[in-house]
Amino acid sequence: MTKTTLFAGAAVAALIAGSAWADNVTVFGPWLGPDQEDVEAVLDGFAAATDHTYSYVGSDSFEQQIRIDAEAGSAPNIAIFPQPGLAANMAEAGFLTPLPEGTAEWVEENYAAGQSWVDLGTYAGPDGEDHLYGFFYKVDVKSLVWYVPENFWDAGYEVPETMEELKALTEQIAADGETPWCIGLGSGGATGWPATDWVEDMMLRTQPPEVYDEWVSNERPFNDPAVVEAIEEFGWFARNDDFVAGGAGAVATTDFRDSPKGLFDAPPQCYMHHQASFIPSFFPEGTMMGEDADFFYFPAYEEKDLGTPVLGAGTLWAITDESDGANALIEYLKTPEAHEIWMARQGFLTPHTGVDPEVFADPALRQMNEILLDATTFRFDASDLMPGAVGAGSFWTGMVDYVGGKDAQAVADDIQSSWDGIK
Amino acid sequence: MSDMHYGPSGVAGQKAILTWAVHLSVGLLVLLWVVPTLGLLVSSFRTADQISSTGWWKAPFAAEQVLQVRTADPGTQVQEGDLYVIEGQLLDETQAEKIASWGTSSRDVAAYQPGDVAEVRGGGTITVGEDGAYRMENTEPFEGGRGQRVFITAMVPPELTLENYRYMLFDDSNVNGMSRAFFNTLTVSIPATVIPILVAAFAAYALAWMEFPGRALLVAVIVGLLVVPLQLALIPLLKLHLGIGIGKGYLGVWLAHTGFGLPLAIYLLRNYMAGLPRDIIENARVDGATEYQIFVRIILPLSFPALASFAIFQFLWTWNDLLVAKVFLIDATGQTTVMTAQIVELMGTRGGNWEILATAAFVSILVPLLVFFFMQKYLVRGLLAGSVK
Repeated sequence: MTKTTLFAGAAVAALIAGSAWADNVTVFGPWLGPDQEDVEAVLDGFAAATDHTYSYVGSDSFEQQIRIDAEAGSAPNIAIFPQPGLAANMAEAGFLTPLPEGTAEWVEENYAAGQSWVDLGTYAGPDGEDHLYGFFYKVDVKSLVWYVPENFWDAGYEVPETMEELKALTEQIAADGETPWCIGLGSGGATGWPATDWVEDMMLRTQPPEVYDEWVSNERPFNDPAVVEAIEEFGWFARNDDFVAGGAGAVATTDFRDSPKGLFDAPPQCYMHHQASFIPSFFPEGTMMGEDADFFYFPAYEEKDLGTPVLGAGTLWAITDESDGANALIEYLKTPEAHEIWMARQGFLTPHTGVDPEVFADPALRQMNEILLDATTFRFDASDLMPGAVGAGSFWTGMVDYVGGKDAQAVADDIQSSWDGIK
Repeated sequence: MSDMHYGPSGVAGQKAILTWAVHLSVGLLVLLWVVPTLGLLVSSFRTADQISSTGWWKAPFAAEQVLQVRTADPGTQVQEGDLYVIEGQLLDETQAEKIASWGTSSRDVAAYQPGDVAEVRGGGTITVGEDGAYRMENTEPFEGGRGQRVFITAMVPPELTLENYRYMLFDDSNVNGMSRAFFNTLTVSIPATVIPILVAAFAAYALAWMEFPGRALLVAVIVGLLVVPLQLALIPLLKLHLGIGIGKGYLGVWLAHTGFGLPLAIYLLRNYMAGLPRDIIENARVDGATEYQIFVRIILPLSFPALASFAIFQFLWTWNDLLVAKVFLIDATGQTTVMTAQIVELMGTRGGNWEILATAAFVSILVPLLVFFFMQKYLVRGLLAGSVK
């Protein structure tokens, strides 16, 4: 029995020691490994610029963990959400504190397409009133196609400028006896999500952005002909055995992390890979961006005249436990310095117009940021905006069914009925 | 062959066949269990690129591979007469020793034999020898920032690396996190093993040897608790902890592990204690021993195998636990992370670093293995104790 009291005493001591971190800003986010080093570099800058300290914790199950922590009342000061949908839920439940006055005006003025970033971070609070809860920092561009320039030269292929050319190139590569695409949807419990990016990109390339917005809010049902058409556009690429490495049957089972490696095999298993701007971290070690691998904008149809739509995603920082330090950190994120620290490292894009683009560590990032700033239409990843049961559930599984051979209309009907089920 | 000595009765022959069958099936089962572990062990010595390109069973053999290498960049060219020349060695950075064939286009990676001369796209020629020495010649200066890409087909000897272990255990970016996580895990596991044993031993004695009304019902309820999944209790229990002021921390995780471990502990120990000879305990009672004296002097020493076997179970379970630690222990300060959580973090944001996972598995398995080998003789006895009287 004495042992138990001893442990209890030790625990009390540990608790008291824990409360000595008064001026510490706790930050909880989804980044681990190299990404964690990057975000800590930014937070080091914050600590140097103010008299606050910080502690960052990353988790691969951020979405579940932040809910548990918030429900249990042990939330961090700042949470970094990878999905606006989750942040909106948390705001409605009263777990988020609105950002300081004037932040919305600042974002509007200083971010490219500022109003859309404000809208994406504004949710109804527990009282039903809209406030700005999320500050977008670090953006991903999704409408990219990755390729190996030397393989294109060897085969004499040109980078396509329009969707018509891309489709013609796909057919040409297949006619040459090679395989044009590497597509992998495997991602453990999240299997299917890479296909949602395809479908969203296709939505933006076959329909005006208003239709996309209606689709996201379900004003236009998921089984609308416009959506089914977009799914079938994706199917044109993914359901053709001649177009995909390993055949259409391998699409659902290939892991999205292993999929791009086919570009670098000798001889190459495929020539193109559609994926967001983060994917270079899964290229083989020592791959030089811009030399060994490069990317081009996933082009739009020339005939449809929809401009150059760009699909993206981003992380938003929200205050889950208000303190002076938390407010100071949000304030710090407005400075160009906070953006430039990460720009100089890797995998960071920003809509902040006040930063110096020369700071980007490699020209590839600068080009991506140009794609982002040149977009005539920018739309956020639809699956991240839809309710979790659809955007992180039936949409994913539906896409797996679709590449498995199920009819596009049937898949869309199923997804819509799952959406009806949660209304 | 030995059954010949037993004569033609057949009984001995049947027995021998049975023994063989048992041995064979045990051997197969062991193989079934060992193969994945072996694969994990081999993978822990391979690089990420190797893991994603070939299976672990191919690791010990030399394999013919197509490698992509580069000549030196045009900045190193020298002028010989009216020729511009770049010379060098392609195999320096690879493990291969002899080139079987080579090519310059990804469309035909084995177009040329060693010694052949090929055109270079930017102008000029290149030739590659069997030993990897190459020579590029051109009448114009070579231009561009990078060397020519050359594909070489060669036998590559097996290559194993300790880099994963170095990264796990000694890399500057990890060493603090790993050692802290190691001691945190011990801080969780040891009390979370000792407390339930202590409580369960008392309870088991009372349920086995003390007469009181409702005892059988109580035993039934405890056995019933064995089937309740702990996931059901996570959030309510955490809310309770926060409500009574324990919060997230070591005390909370010890209590949670104790609660989740007790039904099995009481059940195992009660069955064992109930099987102890009644005479000894009754003699002690007649001699005037108190219940406490009987428990400490007689029951505890006799139950040691059962206590030890449960200790092993509980230690392994708490050592490997991620779920309970994430809910009850790890908070936003990150000071209380455990090994399992640390390993998940090493996997990276999108969880692709399999080589780290394989290595981490073997690092984290060490302590449980030590515990197991020190206490395994009790494990078998204790296991049998629960079922056979």
